[in-house]
Amino acid sequence: MSATVPIAGPRAVRPLVPVTLLLAVLLPLILMPLAAVFVFAFRGGLPAFGKALASPDAQFALRFSLLIAFATAAVNAILGTFTAYVLSRYRFPGERPLGILVNLPVAIPTVVVGTSLLLLWGPIGLLGKLLEPLGFQPMFAPAGVLLAHLFVTFPYMLGAVKPVLDEIEATYEEAAYTIGASRWQTFRWVILPTLRGGLFTGALLTFAHSLGEFGATVLVSGNLRLRTQTAPLYIFAQFEAGNVAGANAVAAVLAALSFVIFFFLLRYTTNRREA
Amino acid sequence: MASPSAPRARGVWPVLLLGGLLLWAAWPWLPISRAAAPPATIVFYGFSILGDTMEQGIFPAFQKAWAAQGGTPVEFLSSFGGSGTVTNQVIMGVPAELVLLSLESDADRLADAGVVPARSWRALPHEGVVNRTPFVILVRPGNPKGIHDFADLARPGIGVVHPDPLTSGGAQWAIVAEYGAGARAAGGDPAAGERLLAGIWKNVVAQASSARAARTQFENGFGDALITYEQEALWDQARGRLRAEIVYPRRTILSEHTLVRVDHRIGPKERAAADAFTRFLWSEEAQKIFVTHGFRSVEEQWNAGNPAFGRIEEPFSIADYGGWAKAKKDIVDGVWKDRVMKVRPKP
Repeated sequence: MSATVPIAGPRAVRPLVPVTLLLAVLLPLILMPLAAVFVFAFRGGLPAFGKALASPDAQFALRFSLLIAFATAAVNAILGTFTAYVLSRYRFPGERPLGILVNLPVAIPTVVVGTSLLLLWGPIGLLGKLLEPLGFQPMFAPAGVLLAHLFVTFPYMLGAVKPVLDEIEATYEEAAYTIGASRWQTFRWVILPTLRGGLFTGALLTFAHSLGEFGATVLVSGNLRLRTQTAPLYIFAQFEAGNVAGANAVAAVLAALSFVIFFFLLRYTTNRREA
Repeated sequence: MASPSAPRARGVWPVLLLGGLLLWAAWPWLPISRAAAPPATIVFYGFSILGDTMEQGIFPAFQKAWAAQGGTPVEFLSSFGGSGTVTNQVIMGVPAELVLLSLESDADRLADAGVVPARSWRALPHEGVVNRTPFVILVRPGNPKGIHDFADLARPGIGVVHPDPLTSGGAQWAIVAEYGAGARAAGGDPAAGERLLAGIWKNVVAQASSARAARTQFENGFGDALITYEQEALWDQARGRLRAEIVYPRRTILSEHTLVRVDHRIGPKERAAADAFTRFLWSEEAQKIFVTHGFRSVEEQWNAGNPAFGRIEEPFSIADYGGWAKAKKDIVDGVWKDRVMKVRPKP
């Protein structure tokens, strides 16, 4: 059957009812909880908010979280791009299972990631047992937090870069090879420029996820204030200890940061689509 | 392909923002901002309710006393959580040097895991016990449900907030308190103890990972009563923040909190400070700080320093049940875990 009757676009129908309904659902589900964080953060007034943020523990937690997020984004930008390049340009046995495997971290509960890292690198773990006598102990140290975040956020970079790589027409690359460019030169001057958008989106996604990571971090960090306590762990610890104001001040900063990141992400992706 | 200039212009703001964030985040570690050489550090893990007392009272007092003695500056790195959680973390290998646990059976677990020699803490003053506090009941202002003793918590319709014995030391103390109160009211009849324990646990509506977290749940409006350390309530009361009433049971237990030194983790640079800090915990100054913060001193003479301490008519201790090794087996595992939790109706 062919559609002879033009179907009225959904936009044309009175939007009032569905939009109101949607808002009624979203308000208690998403919007009000977000607002509550800010209401509680500023309930004691701006000076109290500033004071809560100025505590050395809060300052450290925020700085530490940001540094870990930057490091995670940087390392995974390189690792993710390399993985995407290999998976998209080379054909080899086991390629498909490997493609699934590298995407697995999205599906694994983060607590399981934390546990498995401890059971591998921890002092009683498979590898950790051998490393401990050498004085090298990644768990309960910043390195452990970084390992956990690299694991958890690995697929985001891959997901952002690989589709772009798959779409690039082979002719550009072939042209580069015919004029004598090496694989690296081709990658650097032909492929990388087109990947800029994917890299940007992937890095922001990785950064945002790392900033908010909790489940794996709580297990591998040891939750030591001024040494391995990330901002989400600080929020949890302060909230559990009844310091709602201190917890909320940092929560508000994290929420605001993710809004900004999301704003850039949204603007960039929509601009790209319209272009 | 996209024109080269457009994405670059769009990318300026995020790059500026991220650059600024990175600079701010890395600031304390940049060579230009380094103020002084890193001092010696003592890594201290403690059970949940110690947080305020150690960070605001004991650590600063020791740093001052240590500096006055001419010691090199020392910095404390600390983490507080349920006693069981802390014990597991130490077994898993967190770099803890000194650990203050809620109960001795967690110390025994550290010894069983080979972290410290068995009973090594018994060589410390007071067999390692730093301070004490009795277990009490917190109720809503005005005591609307008329709760006056543990037995009232077993009445139908009472909601009890209780920490989780799996991770909280306070919860295990509370279990012995409930069991002991029931048994002692009936002239030492174990069956009466088990009945009261079962009655209270039928009414448990929320379980938190630590005593401190349980109180946050209670403060957030869960339940009619909370079983917790007296110190928790007194410390809030002292700061005018207690929005609850303390009910002193006629019979209850006094908890005893054990210090464990993980000697092989204490580095040579920290040893002198760690030793001095260990001694300091039992000094008059530290014990008086504990008393101000609502803990009962191991030296009875200092306890007059806090008039808020309530009177308990028939206090008992873990020694009355053969110490923690026996009480854990007989009461927490034997009665609570194997009997009370087995018959407890599923919610």
